[in-house]
Amino acid sequence: MITIKGLSKTVQNSTLIENINLDLEAGKILGVIGPSGNGKTTLLLCMAGLLPFEKGSITIGDRSISAEESGISKEKLWAFRKKSGIVFQHLHLFPHLTVLGNIIEAPVHVKKSTKEAAEFEARELLKKLAIEQHLNKFPEELSGGEQQRVAILRAIAMNPEVLLLDEPTSALDPIRSGDVRNLLREFADSGHTVVIVSHSVRFLRGMADYLAFMGKSELIEMDTADKLMKNPGDARTREFLRHSELN
Amino acid sequence: MTSSLTAFAVPSLRWGGDPSGGAPYVYADPSNPQNYTGFDYEFAEALASEMGMKAEFVPTDWESIVSSLQRKEFDVIIDGFEPTGDRAREVLFSKPYYLFRLQLTVRKNETAVNSLDDCKKYGKSVGTLVNCAASRLLEEGKYNLKGYQDPVGAYKDLELGRVDAVLMDVAGEMFYARSNPNLKQAGTPFQTGAYVVGIRKDEAALKAKIDSAIDVLVNNGTVEKIFRKWKLWDEEQIKLRTVKPAEIEMTSAKFNWSEGLIKLFKAALVTILLAFGAMVIAVIFGIPLAVGQSNGGRIVRILCTVYIEFFRGTPVLVQLLFLYFGLPVIGITLPGWLTAIVGLGLNYAAYESQVYRTAFQAIPERQWQVAYSLGMRPTLAFRRIIFPQAFRIALPPMTNDFVALFKDTSTAFAIAVWELATAYRELANATQSYLGIGLVVCCYYLAMSLPLAHYAHRLERKLQRKSTGILSSGADK
Repeated sequence: MITIKGLSKTVQNSTLIENINLDLEAGKILGVIGPSGNGKTTLLLCMAGLLPFEKGSITIGDRSISAEESGISKEKLWAFRKKSGIVFQHLHLFPHLTVLGNIIEAPVHVKKSTKEAAEFEARELLKKLAIEQHLNKFPEELSGGEQQRVAILRAIAMNPEVLLLDEPTSALDPIRSGDVRNLLREFADSGHTVVIVSHSVRFLRGMADYLAFMGKSELIEMDTADKLMKNPGDARTREFLRHSELN
Repeated sequence: MTSSLTAFAVPSLRWGGDPSGGAPYVYADPSNPQNYTGFDYEFAEALASEMGMKAEFVPTDWESIVSSLQRKEFDVIIDGFEPTGDRAREVLFSKPYYLFRLQLTVRKNETAVNSLDDCKKYGKSVGTLVNCAASRLLEEGKYNLKGYQDPVGAYKDLELGRVDAVLMDVAGEMFYARSNPNLKQAGTPFQTGAYVVGIRKDEAALKAKIDSAIDVLVNNGTVEKIFRKWKLWDEEQIKLRTVKPAEIEMTSAKFNWSEGLIKLFKAALVTILLAFGAMVIAVIFGIPLAVGQSNGGRIVRILCTVYIEFFRGTPVLVQLLFLYFGLPVIGITLPGWLTAIVGLGLNYAAYESQVYRTAFQAIPERQWQVAYSLGMRPTLAFRRIIFPQAFRIALPPMTNDFVALFKDTSTAFAIAVWELATAYRELANATQSYLGIGLVVCCYYLAMSLPLAHYAHRLERKLQRKSTGILSSGADK
């Protein structure tokens, strides 16, 4: 469950996001769409607790963080960060660790799972995405799509309440395949929340439960995916959807 | 000085001597530093004038004075030069013009050492000038010898406790040690040797001329006048009128290859100790410097930058001399080898800090963020994620620095550390075998640096097989 209230973030007098309000129940997938440079990634980084913001608050499950707390690296922020996992556009796998190492690093050193238990879970996850044969390879030996799967599994292995994905379609081998979509669906259905930022409506269709459209630094509207696609309430949303249909 | 008008007509006798720490032989006149003075200076003037020539002083380096003569930088050596067996192969000796003796000096509070034998008995180290009669005597007797470039450094180290005794010609001892309240003579002067003029092998005619001139100067009292003036005349000198060169030949150093190789091997071990010790300091001390310069407050940042620029911008040789002779002024007296380790370590720490900084700057901010979002705290993220990646980037430049450091250990010769380059200078100067010993020394250096480079390269490749560094370093939107 995510609640965002009055979230604003400015950098050197330029407003990146302004007064964002958002409510999302557990078990759902939200797609955040909109043109590039409208503050979608900024919103995601704030939700992950990785970017301090000036106004508002964010709540994930039983943890919340205020604007003041968002800039101070202390216990409260560290606890908040554990609530979500993030998959960056450029993935940023740990280059010095194998596929297995990337996935079990945090479970072993943060959650203090035994190595055996963490490895067992990692193998199960890898099997679901059919990349268990790459277990001992290093990230550079994998294709873009394979790297993306590992990045998703690395985040999921910590079992965060919220999974955040930034522009997943820009990976070299985008996740169109059913198994990744199934994995995300399954993850949401088991009581987690998934937020996917993308400029591609096509990718989100049939997977997202809700869609939110971001105009210039503000959240224009949010509705169920079906409703927003068929009958957007704002002219800017309509314009964006018309363009993305053409692409 | 001869006037410049007559200089055209009168041929000059160019004579070489080392004025650095050269009192009372030949040295810059303290009251008029453009001019030189000393008993050898006055003797050379008298000798040249007796030969109908004009004396022209050529300042040179004591340790390599024989090879400078061979290179014809000057015509003769006049610098408290003793006839020895090894030098006899290279130069002709004139008749002696002074008979010297050796004096052992110790610290005022020394009770155990009263003679050279005591030094051996108690395993005390004895300092002296390199490449002189005293050093040959100590080498032959297998004393714990420490060689110095000039008497000032030797007596200074004696005062500071870096060496236990100093053996020197009485002339030098009188000038540099006799009036020092912290030092005292141990026993009386012993073992007579001679000062002669050194002449190139193929100049027998010049030798004959010099010999007859010395005869005149000895017999007409000129020599006596000069040495009386310098308070160095004693009854011993009467023998000058009768003695023949062969009788006063003192000692000679014969180069024994197997012994030489062992000496060089020991020196190589010292070099290894210096290099590894300094690298450990550099690798560790570079960390706070890098962190301070990148993340410290304003003042810490400025201090770190000043430190780094100071050590990178001044010669390491000067830094070593500063530490060796400067620190005792404020009460910190380190032995030479430790000074070299600390000095080189502090110097290379400045370089390593820059290697670290570059390496950490190469790790994208996103790596930290991923680690944080996985629940890692800053220290864990650093230890598990950031440091291993930075290490891979830092390893090649660190290896280069280590090899460079290996070679920079040779600067320790300036502070009387007996490492490989010092050993080379001393052995080669003593034997005039620059080429042979030089090749051996180069082989020693290569034998140390090549395996190092090889293993570093293998480690790099091993790490590289694991990963080439950073994936997808492109910025996210």
